Amino acid sequence: MKQKLFFVLVVTALVLTACGGGVATQAPVETEAPVATEAPATEAPATEPPAAEAKVATFIWTQEFDSLSPLYQGMWFSEITQQFWLCWAWQFNEKNEAFPYLLTELPSVENGGISEDGTQITMHLRDDIKWSDNEPLTSEDFKFTWEMFTDTKNTVSSAYPYDNITSIDTPDEQTVVINFEAPFSPWLANLWQGILPSHILRPVYDAEGTLDNAEWNLAPTVGCGPYVFDEWESGSFARFTTNPNYWGEPPKIDEIFVRFVPDDASQTAALVAGDADLGAFIPYSDIPQLKEAGMTLTTEPSGFNEGWFFRIDDKSHPAMHDLNVRKALAMAIDREAVNRDLLLGLTKVPASYWDSLPFYNDPPSENYPYDPEAANALLDEAGWVDSNSDGTRDKDGVELVLRYGTTTREIRQDLQAVAQQQLAEVGIGVEISNYDADLFFAGYGEGPAANGELDIMEWSDAPGFPDPDVYYWLCSEIATDENPAGSNWFFCDEELDALIQQQSTQMDANARQETISQINQMFHDNVYWVGMWQDPDVWAVGPRLTGVKFSGVTPFFNITEWDIAE
Amino acid sequence: MNMIMESTSPNQLVALNMEGLDTPPLTLSQLAWRRFRRHRMAMFGAIVLALLFLYSFGGSLVLSESYANHTDTSLRIMSPSAEHLFGTDSVGRDILARTIYGGQISLLIGLTAVVIETFMGILIGALAGYYGGWIDSLLMRITEAMLNIPEIFLLIVMAKFFGGKIPEIEFIGRTFSGSVIVIVVIIGITSWMYLARIVRAQFLSLKENEFVLAAHATGTSNVQIIFLHILPNSMAPIVVSATLGVANAILAEAYISFLGLGVQPPTATWGNMLDGATNYLESAPWLWFFPGLLILLTVLSINFLGDGLRDALDPRSRAI
Amino acid sequence: MIRYIVNRILQGIPLLFIISIILFVLMMNMGDPIATMGGRSITRSSDRVRLTRQLGLDQPVYVQYLYWLIGNDWAKIDLDGDGIEESNGTRRGILRGDFGTSLVNRGKPVTKVIGERLPNTLLLMVASEIIIILGSLLVGIYSALRQYSILDHTITALSFIGYSMPIFFIALLSMYLFAILFKRWGLPYLPTVGMFDPQVGKTTAQVLWHMVLPVFSISIISFAAYSRYIRSTMLEVMSQDYIRTAKSKGLPRREVVYVHALKNASLPIVTVVGLDLPLLLGGAVVTERIFAWPGMGRLFLDHVSRLDMPVVMGILLLIAVAVIFFQIVTDIVYAWLDPRIRYD
Repeated sequence: MKQKLFFVLVVTALVLTACGGGVATQAPVETEAPVATEAPATEAPATEPPAAEAKVATFIWTQEFDSLSPLYQGMWFSEITQQFWLCWAWQFNEKNEAFPYLLTELPSVENGGISEDGTQITMHLRDDIKWSDNEPLTSEDFKFTWEMFTDTKNTVSSAYPYDNITSIDTPDEQTVVINFEAPFSPWLANLWQGILPSHILRPVYDAEGTLDNAEWNLAPTVGCGPYVFDEWESGSFARFTTNPNYWGEPPKIDEIFVRFVPDDASQTAALVAGDADLGAFIPYSDIPQLKEAGMTLTTEPSGFNEGWFFRIDDKSHPAMHDLNVRKALAMAIDREAVNRDLLLGLTKVPASYWDSLPFYNDPPSENYPYDPEAANALLDEAGWVDSNSDGTRDKDGVELVLRYGTTTREIRQDLQAVAQQQLAEVGIGVEISNYDADLFFAGYGEGPAANGELDIMEWSDAPGFPDPDVYYWLCSEIATDENPAGSNWFFCDEELDALIQQQSTQMDANARQETISQINQMFHDNVYWVGMWQDPDVWAVGPRLTGVKFSGVTPFFNITEWDIAE
Repeated sequence: MNMIMESTSPNQLVALNMEGLDTPPLTLSQLAWRRFRRHRMAMFGAIVLALLFLYSFGGSLVLSESYANHTDTSLRIMSPSAEHLFGTDSVGRDILARTIYGGQISLLIGLTAVVIETFMGILIGALAGYYGGWIDSLLMRITEAMLNIPEIFLLIVMAKFFGGKIPEIEFIGRTFSGSVIVIVVIIGITSWMYLARIVRAQFLSLKENEFVLAAHATGTSNVQIIFLHILPNSMAPIVVSATLGVANAILAEAYISFLGLGVQPPTATWGNMLDGATNYLESAPWLWFFPGLLILLTVLSINFLGDGLRDALDPRSRAI
Repeated sequence: MIRYIVNRILQGIPLLFIISIILFVLMMNMGDPIATMGGRSITRSSDRVRLTRQLGLDQPVYVQYLYWLIGNDWAKIDLDGDGIEESNGTRRGILRGDFGTSLVNRGKPVTKVIGERLPNTLLLMVASEIIIILGSLLVGIYSALRQYSILDHTITALSFIGYSMPIFFIALLSMYLFAILFKRWGLPYLPTVGMFDPQVGKTTAQVLWHMVLPVFSISIISFAAYSRYIRSTMLEVMSQDYIRTAKSKGLPRREVVYVHALKNASLPIVTVVGLDLPLLLGGAVVTERIFAWPGMGRLFLDHVSRLDMPVVMGILLLIAVAVIFFQIVTDIVYAWLDPRIRYD
C-alpha cells in the first residue's frame, strides 16, 4: 500500500513536469493573445523556426526592456528599439547631426520654422506617412502625444520636455504649431522621440481614463517604423518583423530577433560562438576576445563620460571647498594609465564634461596632468600637512579623509582600488563605499549621494546629448527638506547658475556656444568635475552584417540599409 | 542547510558505560573525545580546518595587507606563475594574498554570525520551551514565519535593507567596511530558527525531569534553572548545530557576495572573489577556482568535524 | 483529520499576515524605486515629484500597506498634484485578488509578470526533485546495504563534498567542464544560456537539453545530503528487531529491504522532501542567474534591484503560501503513512 502511494507520488510528479513543460510551451501563445485583439496577428507561433529564406539578424541585449511605450520606458535598451518599429520626427546620423524623418525639413529661424522670439516652432509633416495598419500619421498624433505625456493620470517616466510646451495647434493635418512658455534651446535633442498612434490609444484613454494599463505599452502591434512588433517573451526574447505597410524604403533584413541574457559574460559567449550578430555595451575586457572571433568593434560617442562629481557645501568635507585640494585630486590619479590598462587604451581621458560635443568644447579644455609632486605641493600650500604622521594630511585637527562612493559595477570598484592607493601616496585618505544603483541614485532622504554622505561621487553621465544642456548644477535644484526632489547634489555657484539658465533660452547657436564655453572654462578652472574615461557606446558587429552605421542618439537610424551577407 | 537529529541526555551516556569495566569510568568529555578520535573523517576535518586557519591568519604575517591590496593594472589577469602563485586578478592584485585576507573575513564572518545565531536560537528556544503557553505559541509563530521564507530571499531583502548604512570598524589591526557587520548580522538573523526549534524540543523534554522539579522545590529562580540547570544538559545538539552553523554561515556569505549584495570590494572575501570571476570563466579560471576550492575545503572540513562531534556526543543517532 | 487540516490552514493565515508585514516594512526602507526611472541620468526633479505622488510612494508606510492589502478604490487620492484629493484609486488590494501592477513594467499586472516565469521555475524544480528522490534512494539504499565497503566510503566522501560546495561553484565547474572544455575537445557540449536556442525555436528537445546543467547544479547538494540521510535511516531501520525476524524467517533479501525496511524508512524521507521546497527555490535563484534561465528566481533578482515592490511582494507571498501548503501536505502524507501518528 505504501509502495502504491510512493508510486502515485512519483507519477504525479512526472505529470506535473509534463504539465509544467506544456505550460511553458504554451506561454508564447498566451502573450500572442492580446496581439490578436488589436491588429491582424502575425501567424507564426513561437515554436516554428523562421522560414529558410528569411534573413534574421540576432541581437543580444544584457537588459530586458521594461516597457516598449515611449511614455513608460525608462531604459536605453527599450528606447533604441524605437528605430525599428516606431518613428521619431527627426533622427540623427552617424555624426550625430539631425535629419528630418517625419518632417519635410527641420524648422529653423531661416525657414520660418522657429519664430523670432524663439517661443514658437512650426513643423511641416510629410503627407505620405502611414501607421503599420495603413492609417495616416497626422498632426493629430503629435498633439495626442503631447497631451498624453503631460496628463497627470498617466504615470509616465518623464514628462520632459513636453512640460515646457504651453499649447499645440494643428491648423491642418500636416502642420504642427508648438508654443513654448520661454525659448527652449534643447528642443532638437529632446522633442518628438516616439509618436503615439492616437487612433489606437485615444479610445483606450477614453475608456480607462489612463494609458497605464494599455496593452499597446507591452505589445505595440501598431507602429510606423520599418519593422513591426511581433512578440515579446518575458525573460527570453523579442521579435520584430518587416512592416508590410512601411511608407519609406523597405528594410533588407526580414526579421530582428532580440535575445535577453543576464550579464556580459553570456553576451560575449554568445557572440564568440557566432550565435548572434550584434551586441551592445561591450565591456572593454572582452574586446580582444571578440576581435579574435571576427567581430568588428565600433565605438560611438553618445555624450557619456565617467567622472567624479564633487560635493562642495556644508555637508561635505571642509577640504572640498579648497580649490587646491580639488586640483590635487585631479593630479594625483594617473588617469592615462587607468585608460591604458583597465580600458585597454580604447578610450581617452575626457577633459571636459562636453568632451563629446566639440562645437561646445571649443577651444578644448586641457587635462590636468598626472603629477603627484605638484599635488603634494598644492596640498602643502593649502595648509594640509601631516602633522601627526599617520599617513594622511590634516589641518586644524581635521583629517583629510574623503568619502568616495559609486555603484557596484566591477570597473568602478577597480578604479576605486587604484584611486585609493594613488591618493594615499599624496596623503589623502578615502573611505570607499559601493551601493546598488537604485540606492545610489535614490533621492534626498534615502540616497547617500543626495543626502550629502559622499564627497566624491562617481558615475557616467552626459549633457543632453547632442545638446549641451545641463541642469544638475542649478541652484534651484539643490536637494533640501523643502525640495527633496532636487537633482543638485553638488554645490551652488551663482555665476554658474546664471550661465546655465541663460544657455537654455538661447536659440542662436553661436550665442549659446559662447555661453557654454564660459561654463566649460569655469568647470575647468574650478575643477568642478574630473573626467576619468570616455564612455561611448561600444557595439560588437558580427561578420554577417553589412551596411551598419551607428548614431550616438538614434543608434539604428539606418536599419533599413543593414543587410546579411552569407 | 543540514539536518540535525535530536539527542538524549548525556547522563544516559555515562550510565551506559558504567557497566562492568575494570578501568575507572571515563568522564563525559573523555568519552566523547575517544569516540571523536575514532571518527577518521572528523580528525581529517579538524586538521584541515586548523591548516586553513593557519593559512588565513598566519599568512597575514608573511604577506602584508598592503601587498594584498596593491594594484598594478599592467599586471592584470596573469595566470599562476612563480611570483604570483595563484595568478593576478582584474586590477593586478595577487590572488594568493587576497585569498589569505579574504579567508580571514570569511572565517570571521562564519564565526561571529554563529555567535549571534546561537545566542538568539538559545534565547528563543529556551523561553519557548520552558514557559510554554502563549509565549511558546507566539515565538513559534514568528519562527515559522521566518522559516517559511527561503533563506536566500531573506538574505537578499535584508542585504538591500541594510545596504550602505553602517560605517567602517577597526578590528585586529585591519579596517573592515561596514558591509562585513551587515553580513554578520543578517546571516545571524536568518539562521537562528533551526537551533531555536532544537533547543525548544530539548527544554520541553528536560523540564519535566526530576532535577528540574528538585530545583523548583528548593526555590531556584527560573532564570537560574534555565541557564544553570537545563541548558548545560542540552549542550550536545547546540554544539553540533553551532559547528555546522559555521559552515552554513560561510556558504551564506559566499552566496550573497556572489550575488553582489555582500561585502563590497576592495575588501576581499572568498565569495566576492567568485562574483568578479564569472566574466572570466573561460579566459581566467584561476580567478574563481582558488577561492571556490578554499570555500569547499573549509565547509567540507567543518562538515566532517560536525559529523564527528555528533557521533561523539550523541551516540544514539548512529550505529557504532 | 479534516479538522486538523482546516486548523492548519487557519493557522497559516495569521502567519501570512506576519510575513507580509515584515517583508513590506523591509521593502519600504530599501531604497527608491524612482531613482532609476531617469534612464541613464538622474531622474529630473519634476518627474520625481510627480512619480512619487502618482505611485503612491508619498504616503506613510502603514497607509501604503493598507492600500496594498485592501486597495484604494474606496479612498481619494491626489493625482494632479494640486494638493486636493479628487480621484478614486483603482486598486482593489491583495485580499480581493489584485496584486497590483509592476512599477518597472508599468501597467503589467503582477500576476501576469509572475505567471509568465513561474512555469519555467517549476520545470526546473520538479525535475530536480524527481532526480533527488530517485537518485538518493538508490544511492542511499545501496550504500546502506554495503556498509563500510570501499564503495560506501567513496560515496560517503563524495556526498560530503557534494553538499559542502556552494551551488554556484558547482554551476561554474559544470559549465567549465561540460560546456567549455567539452567544446574545446570536440565533444558534444551542453548549452549554458537560456531555455532554448532561438534559431531552433522552443521545442521540447531544446528545453530538455538546456535543462541538464541547471537541474544538475540544483540537485547535487540535496542529492548528496539525502543519500547520506537515507543511508543512516536505512541503517537504523535495518538494525531493528523486525528486520532480523524477517531475515530469520527466510524472506528473500530484496523483499526485506524494499518492502519492510524501506516502508519504515520512508517516513523521515517524506518529511525531509516535503520541507525541501525552500531550499530548492533558493538554489533556483542563483542557478537561474548563472544559466540565464527565465524563471522566477531571476525575476526576483531583477525586480528587487529595481525595487519593484508589488512584484517582489507577490513573489515572496507566493513562496510563503507554497511552503505552508507543502508543510500541510507533508503532515497529511506523514500521518497517512504512519498509523501511529494521530492529529487531533
